[in-house]
Amino acid sequence: MKQLRSLRAVILLAASAASAAAQTAGDGILMPKKVLSAGVVYSQDSWDQYWEGSLKRTNGNIGTLTTKSLMMVAGYGVTGNLSLTANLPYVWTHATQGVLSDMSGIQDLTISAKYRFLRVQSADRSLFSAFIVGTAAVPMSNYTPDFYPLSIGTGGERAGVRMTLDLQPTPGLFVTGSSAYTFCNNVKLNRNSYYTDGQLYLTNEVAMPNVLDNSVSAGYRRGRWMVPVTLTQQRTLGGGDIRRQDMPFVSNRMDFTRLDGVLRYSINVPKDLAFQIGAGHVLRGRNVGQSTTITSGLFYAYHF
Amino acid sequence: MPRRLAVALCAAALVAVGCDKSVGPFEVLPPLEPSSLEPTAGSWRMIALTGPSQIAVAAPTATTSAAYLSELDAIKTSQANLTDHQRKAIAYWSGGGVLRWNQIVRELVARYNLPPAPRDEGGYPVPDAENPFGDPAFPFANPVYAARAYSYVSAAQYDALKSAWYWKFQYNRLSPAKIDNSVRALMPLTDLPSYPSEDAVISGVTVEMLKALFPAAVEEVTLKAAEQRNAALWSGKATASDIAAGLALGKSVAAVFIARAGGDGMRNAGGSATIWKAMADSATARGEIAWTSREVPARPPMLPLFGQVRAWMMTPADIVTQRPPPPPSTSSQQMKDETAEVKRTVEHLTDAQLAIAQKWNDGAGTYSPPGHWNDIALEYVRDAKMSEVRAARVFALLNMAMHDAGVGCWEAKFYYFNPRPSQMDPTIKTQIGLPNFPSYPSGHSTFSAAAAEVMSYFFPSGTENFDAMRDEAGISRLYGGIHYRSDIDAGKAHGGRIGAFTLNFARSDGAP
Repeated sequence: MKQLRSLRAVILLAASAASAAAQTAGDGILMPKKVLSAGVVYSQDSWDQYWEGSLKRTNGNIGTLTTKSLMMVAGYGVTGNLSLTANLPYVWTHATQGVLSDMSGIQDLTISAKYRFLRVQSADRSLFSAFIVGTAAVPMSNYTPDFYPLSIGTGGERAGVRMTLDLQPTPGLFVTGSSAYTFCNNVKLNRNSYYTDGQLYLTNEVAMPNVLDNSVSAGYRRGRWMVPVTLTQQRTLGGGDIRRQDMPFVSNRMDFTRLDGVLRYSINVPKDLAFQIGAGHVLRGRNVGQSTTITSGLFYAYHF
Repeated sequence: MPRRLAVALCAAALVAVGCDKSVGPFEVLPPLEPSSLEPTAGSWRMIALTGPSQIAVAAPTATTSAAYLSELDAIKTSQANLTDHQRKAIAYWSGGGVLRWNQIVRELVARYNLPPAPRDEGGYPVPDAENPFGDPAFPFANPVYAARAYSYVSAAQYDALKSAWYWKFQYNRLSPAKIDNSVRALMPLTDLPSYPSEDAVISGVTVEMLKALFPAAVEEVTLKAAEQRNAALWSGKATASDIAAGLALGKSVAAVFIARAGGDGMRNAGGSATIWKAMADSATARGEIAWTSREVPARPPMLPLFGQVRAWMMTPADIVTQRPPPPPSTSSQQMKDETAEVKRTVEHLTDAQLAIAQKWNDGAGTYSPPGHWNDIALEYVRDAKMSEVRAARVFALLNMAMHDAGVGCWEAKFYYFNPRPSQMDPTIKTQIGLPNFPSYPSGHSTFSAAAAEVMSYFFPSGTENFDAMRDEAGISRLYGGIHYRSDIDAGKAHGGRIGAFTLNFARSDGAP
């Protein structure tokens, strides 16, 4: 039952995968001016263990829960310092055991604007940049958020603000730190009562906790290659634990720490066609599955 | 310029979503101003008591006595020093004790309505009343445990209040705010005699029932009950002696119901491996496919002998007589057709059908199907401005009917031991959790039909609405993929017949 993660995983993946596209919300990269990159990213995320609160367990009525996502991504360089990106995934969930139905559908459209407000190049060729990112996400279909762990998403609008600092000590090497605060709008269910976080709520409306995430990346990016390794920590600022042997719930406190690696290669420079592969794993969590994720993506850039 | 654009985008996003997220308030209960004092309630027919004076309440002291005057002084002193916390307690309990406790019981059911987790070494532990704080917690407040719990709390409240009403009008001692106009009335003031205090009666009877039914909640229900009594005193509604008499009466009535509960068969309802096998063998001997658990690992069926638990309005013979006719044979064409209908339905489910399945899911972790009908009933009772004793009558008869529906339904389920759609066709996947007990007849349909009968009797103008909800609750099980159509039809008819037993009581219990 715990699938909680899948949802957030998908969001995160969206971020890390789109990065290939030239950028993810949390990286230190901008699209070149007047370049449009479009691509598709496939990811597959699965777990057979999850944390019920802080208790790590398996569930015979879930077996292995797999979330597949096929995401359209696009990025555009408005100016040398401002990029816009958008992505929209189609998501499938499936449990290998038990009787619960698979779910699938168009998930959430995410749009971001990333602006570089500081760029300092020093005499020793090191480069320091700082970015601010605004993000908004809106569900694009009326999938149900009341069927975790098989729901494909939270079904709620979100908006976030992110600050990213990126340092390239020498050309090619980089280290990036990024933090985001995401406001999550309330979600509506089809039922008029639910129990969570120690209380019976006699309403169909669920208050969704906001989310804080922090990440640190390091790696190499130069020429045809980009190879980041990213450690991400998500903290949900509220919400209750999954109760013993209960189903997970949309507003549970879903926390995790995960490690992702991506390898991106541009076939012809400058970057008309690129592909990437990636993998990630949840190291620790709470009310999420300990998932392993693989991704692959293909991108094409148009120069206007 | 681009910088401004970025800042504007961020700001817009934050404003768009960063607003107030508090949910509620819900089920608001305005201060209860009962439309009638119900002077005859002391003569209404009892459920478990032999009569209204079975438990004696000694005569109160005169309102001119020094003892009573000092009680009034104590109220005035409290009222001169009320804290915000005390004012909130008064406002909360002024909504009505029966209604407030109904909300609390629903919360307890939702909290404890979780099945035991499997053991690492396989199998499942059994919730243990002697270790209610353990893992698993006690109880597992599944639908029939919940039906029984709601009925015991409501029926005990009802008998206790009828007895209280009897003594109130026997002694006719008015409330302190009526007797001394320097005592402020911080709850609506009525001419209802206040000895014994109805608030204290409700607190005493309810807390004792809940300690027996939800022992791990002892601390919170004890605090709630004490708060209810204090609120009655702080508000000028009852003196210390009104409250002491009410508390004693309430606890004594609870003892009668707890004794009944101890012997009603619930302690044996879990059955044993031998009994489960005999039930399966019986179905097999009739040439039918026997129900098996779809859970991994396979879980013992939920309270297979609940059908033997004592009903309120039906004898064991009535339970058997009213049992629905057999379901379609598992080898029949009708069963094949109905299984195919379930599959076709879940595989082509519309958004509206999914919404109905979820609305009436009432599965693990919720206040259960009987709780859903209590939720529905509360607003009708509240809006009718019923006195405490009349509100208790509605909930008692509603919940006794649903308990009897649970008994009758479980007796039939385990008599026929019929497989779920996902057992007949493992490719059928469900939109809601699959209950771990036999399919025929549908429990939610039975509960809902019995509830709709009773609610229509009390609130005839709502009949159309109750019938529509009954039908929607029933068909939601087909949409969820957990019941065949014949389960639903049989449950609906069965629940209606069971509800009629309660209506027979309601029509002859002396309440106008």
